[in-house]
This record gives sequence, structure tokens and C-alpha cells, in this order.
Amino acid sequence: MLLIGENVNIMSETIGPALRGRNPKPIQELARAETEAGVDYLDLNIGPARKAGDELMTWVVNTVQEVTDLPLSLDTTNPAAMEAGLKVHKGRALINSISLQPERLEPELPLVKKYDADMIGLLWGTEGMPRDAAERCVLVVDLVYRANQLGIPNRDIWIDPILTPASGEINQVKACFEFMSMLNDIAPECKSVVGLSNISNGTPTHLRPYLNRSCMIMLMKYGLYSAIVDAFDSELIKIARGEMPEIVKLVHRVMDGEKPNLSSLSQKEAEYVKTVRVLTGEALYSHSWLEI
Amino acid sequence: MALEIPKTSYSGKIREIRLGKGDKSITVGGETAYPFYLFEGGIPNLPKIAMEVYDSPPEEWPEAALEPFAGVTDDPVAWAKKCINDYGAEIICLQLISTDPNGLDRGADEAAEVVKRVADAIDIPLIVWGCSNEEKDTEVLRKVSEVCQGKNLIIGPVGEGDHKKIGASAIGYHHTVIASTPIDVNLAKQLNILLGNLGVPDDSLIMDTTVSSIGYGIEYCYSVMERARMAGLTQQDEKLQFPVICNIGKEVWKAKEVKIAEKEDPKLGDARKRGILMEAISAMILLLAGADVLIMRHPEAIKLVQEMIAELTAE
Repeated sequence: MLLIGENVNIMSETIGPALRGRNPKPIQELARAETEAGVDYLDLNIGPARKAGDELMTWVVNTVQEVTDLPLSLDTTNPAAMEAGLKVHKGRALINSISLQPERLEPELPLVKKYDADMIGLLWGTEGMPRDAAERCVLVVDLVYRANQLGIPNRDIWIDPILTPASGEINQVKACFEFMSMLNDIAPECKSVVGLSNISNGTPTHLRPYLNRSCMIMLMKYGLYSAIVDAFDSELIKIARGEMPEIVKLVHRVMDGEKPNLSSLSQKEAEYVKTVRVLTGEALYSHSWLEI
Repeated sequence: MALEIPKTSYSGKIREIRLGKGDKSITVGGETAYPFYLFEGGIPNLPKIAMEVYDSPPEEWPEAALEPFAGVTDDPVAWAKKCINDYGAEIICLQLISTDPNGLDRGADEAAEVVKRVADAIDIPLIVWGCSNEEKDTEVLRKVSEVCQGKNLIIGPVGEGDHKKIGASAIGYHHTVIASTPIDVNLAKQLNILLGNLGVPDDSLIMDTTVSSIGYGIEYCYSVMERARMAGLTQQDEKLQFPVICNIGKEVWKAKEVKIAEKEDPKLGDARKRGILMEAISAMILLLAGADVLIMRHPEAIKLVQEMIAELTAE
């Protein structure tokens, strides 16, 4: 599995001001720390960047490339900023993201070929968020068709099925899983990516890693190719690197219907099992899900 | 081949809780099937209706709502007795509207004194509903708990912010707690967990998942109640196996659709009939979503709902 560090983000209390003030130090420190933590890509999220987005993206790509050799995931909804970043990016960049909304699709799809980049295909349609697995299937077919028409091969498209918070409508989370189990049949050779931390949006901060890790393991069962993650969750990185095979097997057995006796498990195992039960919809989410 | 009607498989049961004390106490809950699914399971205790009494004379009620209580609206004890003697109330809900800091801001001692007088004057269960200001409710409901020790009042609303203090005093003085959350099944479950952790016994908790009138988002309230009931009955979710209480009367009677006079907008029709029907229909919808206790206002709306309960549960 490839991991994309999410931490350089305009929403962050330290990185936001650094981006706006063009202060390289906090950004370079963070990029260096993410690189050391062992992720494969760094996501640079500058948000919508409506004003001077192109200049900001150029600056942040150059700033980060001074301290790391990792490829970058350029994360903005501003097509001009996207192109500016691609121009100065060394090596093969990842465009994060292109959706089916015409204002994103039309200017950005040609950039994939022009700059020899990979792209994240976000399953967000003209009518917004897909409601179930079937609507995701329709969107992926459309998106891949449009990309193929421009000569973009499936292997360069990383499909993002849109993961939503476990503390909200759990049927949406289930729809995302269901779609992931079908992706390979619908769009062979397409890769996949999720914004993993979305699953724990709305959950108290100290509990978020539990949801993130379990959710990633569940998605691994469906062949998840990559995830945008908190680079500093070392347990998550160990899981992705294959260093916790027993936990992965346990989660997958529970997904297959096994109901282990919680009292026979270690505390850590029990926490994973309880979290999987929430993510499958078997148990209703509450902030105290680990305690009951 | 004979047609086999599919049946829901239930694995859980809603807890039974006893409201009030003595001969006139009332047990609610205990369902083993979805609301009125008598063909799939049991409803050992039919849903009950509590009649509202206000602790200060209502100011903005439409004429239709005031008329049944003419002459008693300035005296909560007389009002409660009228509900019992004239309208056959089985439960009273005293709405402590006067304690609202944005209104009369009546103090805790005075409010508790009124509660005590009503509690002493009646022998049916008494619900005491605060003003939904966490700080003020904490002060008032703690005092109410204390002065009414042993009466097994049903007190609320108790939210996440004030659950510790109000919950602790309810435990200490043996009252039932109304766990209130804002139209969100996950938060409802969480508050029940927190109250359980605090030590509120499972047989002393009733849930209020927040309701509103038809036309004001009742469908969202319905979905949350429905989802909670599904979790409790089919997913063995013990933290959602509590009866549900709905404070619906006051939601309906504040809607502009019950306040507009017929002469202002003739196409809306008779104002009295309109208010009664709006309350009755809102209440009926909540019954279908799983309400165990409805807090209602107009005697005729109550009668309509009782008739429906009787019809839906007739042998």
C-alpha cells in the first residue's frame, strides 16, 4: 500500500499561516518529518486558493522539494494552481483531484497527459455526492471513459470513492466499502485511494486513530492501493507495511462473519473488533464505542 | 405453495420503566416489536399521554388551546386537578416555563415549591420539564429533585452538558431522568452511555430524541426514533433499549399554522379544529415512530390519539 501524508494542509493552525505568509520553515520541518515517518507521497493541500493560487502552489512545491525527494500530491480545486504546481514538480506528480464537475474535469484532465502525471478521480458528480454504490459505479464509468478518450490509461487513474464519517450516516460508509469490492471489475487496472481521516471526522481527536486504522484494514481486504493518511500515526504505518499481519487477519475474519469472544482477545484486538463492528454497521456508533 | 409473510427477526426488547409510585404508577416500554406490529411481537404497555400544566399563565397560546383550561391557568395545582378530574389525565407534565432566564427567570426555590405543591396534590406520575437552559435547569432540577425526594418524578431535559449534576441528584433522590439529545441517534446513544456510567439505573431512564410538529421537520425526528428502535430491537443495542418520551404539544401550539385566525387566512379553515388536528396528527406520527409517552395539550387532540391507539391495538 502506498501512503500519502496529509499533514501539509492549509486547514492546520501552523501550516495555514505559514502558507499564507510564505514562511518556509514550518512547512519544510513538517515535510521532513513526514518523509522520516516513512510515507510514500506528500499531499500539499492549499485549499481552493482563489487568489494567487498559482503563485502559492509554485512556491510550496519548490519549498517542499528543497527538503524531500518524495513525489507530491497536489491538492487544490483551482485548476490554474494545479498547472502551476505541475510545471515545477520534479518527477511524476499526483493530481488531487479531478471530479466529474465540468469546471474541474475540462481544464484539468488535459493536464494529466501534458505533464505525465497520475490523477485522483474523485467520484463527485454534477449532482454532488453519490448516494450509494450503484451511483458510484455510474460515476466511475463516466470518469474513466472521459479520461480514456484523452489517452489517459486506467493505470494512471486513482479512484477516490469518497469515504464519509462513521459518526454520520453509516450506510454511506457501507456503500463505499461495497463499491470498493466491485471497482476492479468495473474499471480494471484503475488504482484506488481514500482520504482515510474522513472516516473519523466528528470523532474526539484521541479516538480518531482507532477508526482510521480499522477502516484502512477493511479497505485493504478490497485491494485498496493507497490512502491519504496522518503520517504520524506509527501504528497505521506499521499496518500498511505488513508488520501487523495478525490484526489484519483478525479484522478480515470479523468482516467474513466471525464473532470472536471479546473476553478471549487482548485489549488491542478487542478494540479493533469493536471498531469493525461499528464500521460494518453492526453496532451503532457513539463516542464511547470502545468502552461498551 | 402458501404465501409466507416475511417477519422481522427481533433480538432485543425495550426496557420497562415505572413512572410515578403507588397504585397510580404507570409502566411504559417493554415492546418486543416495531410500533403496533402486533403480528410480530408484543406491546405489553400501551403508549401513554401526559397532559401539560404550566407553572405560570401562558402568554402566547391561541384561544383554542386556552379554552379547555379557562379559570385554572394561573394555578398549576388547580390546572393539574382539572386535567385529572375533567379530562382523565393519567400523567401530568409540569412545564417550568417561568424559570427561563430570558423570561420571568423565577428562582430555583420558588420553582421547586410549585413542583412540590403539584406533586403533593396529585397521585398520578409527574413529569417536570425545565426551560432547556443548561445552567438554569441544573439549578432548578437539582432543587426539585431534593424537595420531591421519593416521589419518583420524571425530570428533564437532561443533556450532555448538565447530565452529571442533574443525573447525580436524580440518582440520589430516586427520580427518573429524561435523556435529551438534538435529533441524532449517535448522540442519543452516547448520552445514555454517559448516564449509565454515572450510575443512573437502567430502569430510571427515558429518552427524548427531540421532536417537532408536522411541517417543522418531524420527518427527521421520526427517522431518529425509528433508527433507535431498530438498533434496540434488531441489533441488540442495549444502550438504545429505552422507552421514548415526546414533548410534542408545545411544539405544535407554537407553530404559526395554529395561531393564524381564520379571518386572516380563510383558506386555512377553522382555527380550533386546525390546531387540534395538527397536534393529533403530529402525535400519531410519533407513535408510529415508537413514542412511549406523549406530552400533549388539547383534550380533543388527546382523545383522537387515544382512539387511534385503541384501534391499532384492538384484538
